[in-house]
Amino acid sequence: MNISPVEAEEALAAIQTVAQKTRRSIASGGATVTLVVTGAIWLIGFIVTQFWPAISPYVWIALSVLGSIISVFWGSRLGARVHSPAMNATARRMALFWLFLIFFGGSAIAIAAPLDGRQVTALILLFALLGHLAMGLLLSFSSVWWPLPIAALVLICYFFLPAYFYLGMGLLGGGTMIALGLIIHFRW
Amino acid sequence: MADLNELIHQPVRLRIMAVLATLEAGDEVDFIYLRQLLDVTDGNLGAHLRKLEEAGYILVNKTFVERKPRTYVSASPEGRRVFQEHVAALQAILTQK
Repeated sequence: MNISPVEAEEALAAIQTVAQKTRRSIASGGATVTLVVTGAIWLIGFIVTQFWPAISPYVWIALSVLGSIISVFWGSRLGARVHSPAMNATARRMALFWLFLIFFGGSAIAIAAPLDGRQVTALILLFALLGHLAMGLLLSFSSVWWPLPIAALVLICYFFLPAYFYLGMGLLGGGTMIALGLIIHFRW
Repeated sequence: MADLNELIHQPVRLRIMAVLATLEAGDEVDFIYLRQLLDVTDGNLGAHLRKLEEAGYILVNKTFVERKPRTYVSASPEGRRVFQEHVAALQAILTQK
């Protein structure tokens, strides 16, 4: 079989394009849903905390349950796309990592004994974003970057907008996550 | 220098093998997800998969997930080897240009 250099170049380009599409599809599939669901939870939860603090604990519990159900449903859908023996072992390590992070994060907060809800919230958010950053490093370098601007927003709102910390987290943090999720889904 | 593989060089089969070779060895991809990635019809994909399976380049695993039939496809060790040889042959044509 003989082909021209132009045909060879086109074939190699087709291989590269579909390989890149496959890697991105697998890497971004989970990030899109994680960002949109977490962003929506932040948006609703923090706006309620800012304006109606008395009912906010109940709203956060309801949102957490809803977020967990969506995560389990979506996780099982994504898991069905590619069967991976290596990934099954990684998933167990990831689950253990989150359990340890909750334990160590909770211990650090208990020892530091923050004075108010704003401090507790900022610490929980930073620990959660550290967890997402670690997941990105473990799974794909292309999904590492998104927790960094969100962590910067947490610090900016905490230090420079203390009176509107929860509102800032809802609109800026939640809104940015939803926007990033939609950008990854439609433009990446 | 390795020769070009006529069976793999067909555009849809080339892209199928590219997807499967991108996955880790042992990983299987769902038929529906593969169809979405390649933007081809069920019949077209099925026909090309049959040819690759007959050549021993891919493995097809028909199973049930939550009582629904699912078809998973993976590259065989032989399929990975011939695909890498095909890519090397394509690159060799370009370097000789």
